[in-house]
Amino acid sequence: MPFTRILVAIDGSECSDRAFAKAVELAVLAEAQLTALAVEGPLPAYAATIGEVDEVKREKDLYFNALASRAKQQAKEAGVEIDVDVRAGHAAELISQVASEGSYDLVVLGHRGHFLRDHLLGSTADRVAETAPCPVMIVR
Amino acid sequence: MSDIAVAAVLAATILIASTISVEIGLSVALIELLAGFVVGNAFHLDVPSWLTFLGSFAGMVLTFQAGAEVDVPQFKREWRASLAIGLASFFAPFAVVGLLAYYGLGWNLRQAEIGGLALSTTSLAVVYAVLVETGLIRELVGKRLMSATFVTDIATVAGLTVLFVKPTLWIVPFVIVSVALIVALPKAAPWFFGRYGNRVIEPEIKLVFATLFLLTWLGTRANSQAALPAFILGLVMSGHYVKHRQEQERMRVVAFAFLTPFFFLKGGMNVSAGALWANLGILGLLFAGKMIPKFAAIYPLARRYTAPHAAFTTLLMSTGLTFGTITSLYGLNAGIIDRTQFSLLIAVVVLSAVIPTAVAQRFFHPHREREPGAGRPVAAVPAPEGVTD
Repeated sequence: MPFTRILVAIDGSECSDRAFAKAVELAVLAEAQLTALAVEGPLPAYAATIGEVDEVKREKDLYFNALASRAKQQAKEAGVEIDVDVRAGHAAELISQVASEGSYDLVVLGHRGHFLRDHLLGSTADRVAETAPCPVMIVR
Repeated sequence: MSDIAVAAVLAATILIASTISVEIGLSVALIELLAGFVVGNAFHLDVPSWLTFLGSFAGMVLTFQAGAEVDVPQFKREWRASLAIGLASFFAPFAVVGLLAYYGLGWNLRQAEIGGLALSTTSLAVVYAVLVETGLIRELVGKRLMSATFVTDIATVAGLTVLFVKPTLWIVPFVIVSVALIVALPKAAPWFFGRYGNRVIEPEIKLVFATLFLLTWLGTRANSQAALPAFILGLVMSGHYVKHRQEQERMRVVAFAFLTPFFFLKGGMNVSAGALWANLGILGLLFAGKMIPKFAAIYPLARRYTAPHAAFTTLLMSTGLTFGTITSLYGLNAGIIDRTQFSLLIAVVVLSAVIPTAVAQRFFHPHREREPGAGRPVAAVPAPEGVTD
């Protein structure tokens, strides 16, 4: 079955980088449209100062915007057109939601993210595999 | 254990708390409080005098920063609508907890006042984080909520400064210097910061610290507390910091790296697990003493001013953390409350940071019906060097 619209989730972790590389390969092979989705996780819960919230948000915006730029650059080097979407929210929910709304026929993502919190309530990959409306490719 | 050994243990604890905070996405302050609780109870460490000193000063820095983080123009626009919610949010739990502690728990008047103040607060930062996360910070309801929180906080710091004053002659220089600094510092700051700022030796941070030390010393000599002038000083400097974000960021770096960890760690170390275990019923009573009056007083006003998010607003106005901790630590340091009372107040403060926030986000999230990405916007920032778009 040819894939025509591929959504790849990126967070800058090693697994995510490998997932992105696989998604680019697949997009070249299938001549598919590729979209990268970078999800900024939540701000620190129960902060003591506004400064802590502001600083974390600024750091996240900076990091994910740089990640988006890097994804565009890598896709360009591979000769693939890409849309990059940076959003804030709950990663698994957003990935499944975007996959559904955008009528994607494949979601590609790494099997684990950066931090311990990515594993506390089950991995994002597990939850996307359960809730996505299309096939999900989990890259180790 | 020697001072340096205690310092080494605490420095390691602070480091571990920071990494845990990043890994699990919880505020570092909350982790530091919990870490202090664990270390204090596991190792039975006595709080050394240098930690008390650093913690007290960090409390003043936090108070100054809280003032400096207020959006004054927004408050000026919304203060009428927010005044009722903010004052109700302060006075209802202050009265109920105070009366409960005095008549129900047998605390003396000053202890009951500390209890009332500590549990009347609303956490500006907890409210702000939720509003940013939900995107409501850009809407009228968010602006009113932030302004109302500010009203509650200023009532708390005013209560802390005014209620416990036993004036000596030093009250005169304390008031004169406070007023002089509040008037002069915003005027002198552009010149001073322009001439001496933007250097690695950070004269602008030293200027702020010097004024806070001066206020703390004069406040102590006057048998008062410098929370109110420190907060107002931050407030009058907020306009300057809006124009000079980097100065505020550098101040935050110094505070987060060195001062506030000791403040929260010290708070946690003074919480006795045994005292909490032995007084679980009182803990529940105090928690109810904060929540029920907050709900009873705020909800009817919220229905009028922040509809259709009245329940969400009420829950967020019921949170507390930093000023509750500052007030409780002041009471402990001044010998007004004992360690058991302090433990109970801090436990209620932490519970009030977590429970109403979690309930608000889980059951009353204003954007639950919308798509998951409808909340916090992501700012477009220029890519760092080496990364091209």
